Amino acid sequence: MPAADRALADLDERRLVEACLGGQSGAFDLIVERHRRSVYLLCYRFVSNHEDASDLSQEVFLRAYRGLRSFRGQSSLATWLYRIGVNVCLNRVSAKKLQSESIEDRQFVDERAESAPERLMKNERGARVRAAIAQLPRKQRATLVLRMYHEMSHQEIADVLGSSVGAVKANFFHALGNLKKLLGDEVF
Amino acid sequence: MHLQPDELVDLAEGTRTESSVPHLAACAACRNQLAELKAMMSAAADVAVPEPSPLFWDHFSARVREAVAAEGMPRRSFWSWPRLAMPMAVAAIAGVILAVASHTGPETRPGPPAVGATPAVASIELLSDPQSPDDDTALTLVAELSSDMDLDGAREAGLAGGGSAEHAVTHLDGGELRELRRLLQEELARSGA
Repeated sequence: MPAADRALADLDERRLVEACLGGQSGAFDLIVERHRRSVYLLCYRFVSNHEDASDLSQEVFLRAYRGLRSFRGQSSLATWLYRIGVNVCLNRVSAKKLQSESIEDRQFVDERAESAPERLMKNERGARVRAAIAQLPRKQRATLVLRMYHEMSHQEIADVLGSSVGAVKANFFHALGNLKKLLGDEVF
Repeated sequence: MHLQPDELVDLAEGTRTESSVPHLAACAACRNQLAELKAMMSAAADVAVPEPSPLFWDHFSARVREAVAAEGMPRRSFWSWPRLAMPMAVAAIAGVILAVASHTGPETRPGPPAVGATPAVASIELLSDPQSPDDDTALTLVAELSSDMDLDGAREAGLAGGGSAEHAVTHLDGGELRELRRLLQEELARSGA
């Protein structure tokens, strides 16, 4: 690793953003490298397929780059990126009917450790649950994803979605109820 | 009265203990609902996202890098942009126009225009007339129009280069000013203003 990159790697988030705004090459690369996985997972939870999740993740980072000057460091960079991610995903979800992928479509997925029959059954079950989540209304889906998979508090979710804690809890409750209706007893 | 959604969520997530809700012990419907919530949370929590391969991450970073490179530097935020620069520059251009026009004014103001008089000159006279209330009207119009401009949008659309307005105002020499005056007169004559 070159000395300049090592120096960047030692910076905290705020200074990394400043370095990026100052035109230091490699600073934004480092931001992408640190957060690409969590952003991708967020997007995947929304769209349930690799191709769309990949495109959306790229869009999230592009928007983040465009709006980097507006990052004030009041929240963590991860939370800020989540906020952008949720907006990007919700916009896409409302603009396009997304398709959940079949297991065969997941050509980029590393499944070397998933050969056991239990793992296959778990994958099948997971695919059904993801497909059901993809059918939830937008805010219910966003609430469920952020709460279940990104461990955000109700208050943080309320901030991201621009709603109240009460509304977040109600959305979460209805999301789980709708999930139950969509799945029936098939995942138990 | 049955438990509300937020109460059931708190119980399912464990932020409230079941013993703190006496209703639960007495209500089978609420107990069932709570059990279903917990079961769905458990089922949802057990769903992993297929992990992309390491190769994908390399490709992904490269794609983002290319897209970012095409963007140029991050834009200034709304508040850090000197938002008055463009309106001021436009107002300054209007000032130049007024100055050019007022310079020509006295030569072209002899009474009512004769038949065949150049409309452009008449228009310039109107703008340059210090007594005319249209001076303020024109400036107000320019200021209002320019204050509503989306500067970033205009730049993205290729409608304005970086600093082009400022440059136009501050870097005109005498010859360029004369040429500007000539072009303005031509344009006004052509438009019949």
